Amino acid sequence: MRWLTFFCILFCISLFQSALINWINIGVAMPDLYFPLVVFYSFLTDFRRNTVANWFAGLSKDLFSEGHLGINSIFFVAVGFLLWSIRSVLYRGHLVTQIIITFIFSVMYNILCAAHTALSFHSLNFSSTLWIIFISSLYTAMIVPILFWIFSKFQPTQRLFLNQ
Amino acid sequence: MRTSTPSFSNLIKTPIATIIILLAISLVLLFLPSKFSNQIKMTCVAPIRPLQWATCFCSNSASNFFDRIISAWQDARIKKQLEQQVSQFKNKITEQQDAIYKLQNKLQILSKFQAENRNGKTSVIPADIIGYDTSNFRKSVTINAGSKHGVKSNDIVVSNDALVGRIVTISGSTSIVQLITDTASRIPGRILQTREQVIVEGNATGFCQLKYVPRWAKLKKGDDIVSSDIGGFYPPSIPIATVVENETKGGALFQTVKVLPKVDISKIESVLVITD
Repeated sequence: MRWLTFFCILFCISLFQSALINWINIGVAMPDLYFPLVVFYSFLTDFRRNTVANWFAGLSKDLFSEGHLGINSIFFVAVGFLLWSIRSVLYRGHLVTQIIITFIFSVMYNILCAAHTALSFHSLNFSSTLWIIFISSLYTAMIVPILFWIFSKFQPTQRLFLNQ
Repeated sequence: MRTSTPSFSNLIKTPIATIIILLAISLVLLFLPSKFSNQIKMTCVAPIRPLQWATCFCSNSASNFFDRIISAWQDARIKKQLEQQVSQFKNKITEQQDAIYKLQNKLQILSKFQAENRNGKTSVIPADIIGYDTSNFRKSVTINAGSKHGVKSNDIVVSNDALVGRIVTISGSTSIVQLITDTASRIPGRILQTREQVIVEGNATGFCQLKYVPRWAKLKKGDDIVSSDIGGFYPPSIPIATVVENETKGGALFQTVKVLPKVDISKIESVLVITD
């Protein structure tokens, strides 16, 4: 794993997510560009590197977001750990697996975020929040093929296609 | 048999130690007072702000450029011959026109606002939006005006004479605005027509909701919500939102009211910060 490449990708994602997201938003559906990165590195790297990479991805998201610093780091590390621990039973090289896994784990991550926000501010509507979670996770999963293709251009992905 | 105790450098290389250290740092950051965590955020992100501004500026310019291209194309369908003659000329001046329109618009809004508040003690600072929130459940924008320009914490931000939000975090040249649609936003308001006192609360969608509207309040679609000076936090009479739908459920004490903010936050490019 090349750390410099990782930080360059993270920087580009942060810039895109914080400045150009209005270009690809569809109504309330806002894709989370950080999340495919978490999935990619959880599939690709060992436990230690995966944890560090996910922690930095979460911290980067926190820096560009209003709210508690460190919350997304914890969520990303937790989700990344869960993904890493089940990756040996998945056929990670297949595109459909990548899309479905991203969708399922994105839903889980968004539920965690929504629960944290709801506990903090008590202002989320149940139905509209469920809709935001579903549509945003779906959108995030749909852009996985493009993002994984871009990531794989910069990172060696031989291990991605091995079932360990 | 000899047993050796692991050294610290070996210990921190183990995966479990890594995860514990990172989670400990996250927890420390999480429980930091918001003043310090905001300061850390602004300091870390400060070097990236110019790039963010440049990206946003290019994006807005490109967006305006494409809008003009599309409108030019639509006109061309109606007046094909005329459009063909002027299209080359239009393309050349589009970029300059864009800059002029932006400045004119800003000047017009500023002059109008200053004319209306000539006798007041407030002053206004124009600012451009340079960044958006990366989270699905929080709604904030970053603007290119900070403490150097006179912006202070809790200053009110408006656009087209309607409330956009308030300043929550400031650095030297940028600030973060908590939008009225943010889940943490609570604004004391008043229904213009019935004079009922309400709280406008964000819920991370494009709409807001009203809290504590009594079930006997006679609300109807299209009623306006303005800010109230109760609490002394927001100046009174700034338009906030319009009622879209209201519903009284079973034996509930209060109505469920959905309101649409007066400002389409996804489309604004510049705002005015009102300072005392």
